[in-house]
Amino acid sequence: MSEPLSLSETTPAKAWTATVLAWVFPGLGHFYLGKRRRALFYAAVVTVTFLFGISLEGRLDTPEPGAPLTYLATFASLGSGLLSILARLLIENPRGNVLSVTYEYGCMFLRTAGLMNLLLALDAFDVAMGRKP
Amino acid sequence: MTPLSGRAISAGPFSALATFLPVDHFLLMVLYALLLSMFLAVLWGSDRPARLRLFAKIFGALVIGGLAVAWLMYPFPS
Repeated sequence: MSEPLSLSETTPAKAWTATVLAWVFPGLGHFYLGKRRRALFYAAVVTVTFLFGISLEGRLDTPEPGAPLTYLATFASLGSGLLSILARLLIENPRGNVLSVTYEYGCMFLRTAGLMNLLLALDAFDVAMGRKP
Repeated sequence: MTPLSGRAISAGPFSALATFLPVDHFLLMVLYALLLSMFLAVLWGSDRPARLRLFAKIFGALVIGGLAVAWLMYPFPS
C-alpha cells in the first residue's frame, strides 16, 4: 500500500477530484489517493451490496410528486454513482418488483449501497485534505 | 432457506446473483448486518484490533437490535 499524501501534496483540487471519483465508482477516490487495498475492499463491499439489492428486486428510486420521502430515497439511491446510472439503463425493470417477497430488502440494500458510497466520498475528501490517514 | 427459483426475476444481467441469495428474512437481515458492519468497521476503525472490535459491536447491535424490535412487535397483529 502506498504512503499517504503529504501536506504539500494535498490541495483542494485534488480533494474534490478524489471526492467526485469516489462518487463515480466505489473506492475510486481512495485508489486515486494511493489507498489501494482499502479502495478494493470498499469497491467490493459497496458493489456487492448494490448487486444484492438489484437481485432482490429492489427499486432504484425516482422522485414522485407529493411523496417527499421519495426525494430522500432517490438521493440515497443515486449515491452509488455509475452503478446506479448503469443499472437504470441496463435492467429491465428499475422500479423493482413490488410483489416480490424480497422487494423491501432489495430497496434497503440499494439505498444502503448509495449511502455507503456517499460516506466514501466524504472520507476520500478527508483523506485528501490530510485529516485522516 | 428457500431458493429464489419461484420468483419473477426482472433484474436483467444481474439476475444470476439471485440464485445464491436467500429469501429468509432473518438470513437477509444477517447478510445486511454483515456487509454494513464490515464497511463501517474499516471506514471508522484506526487499526486492525479497533476494526475487529467495531465490527463485533455494530454486527451484534444490528442483529440483536433487529431481533429485539421483532420480539417487541410480536404482540401487535399485522
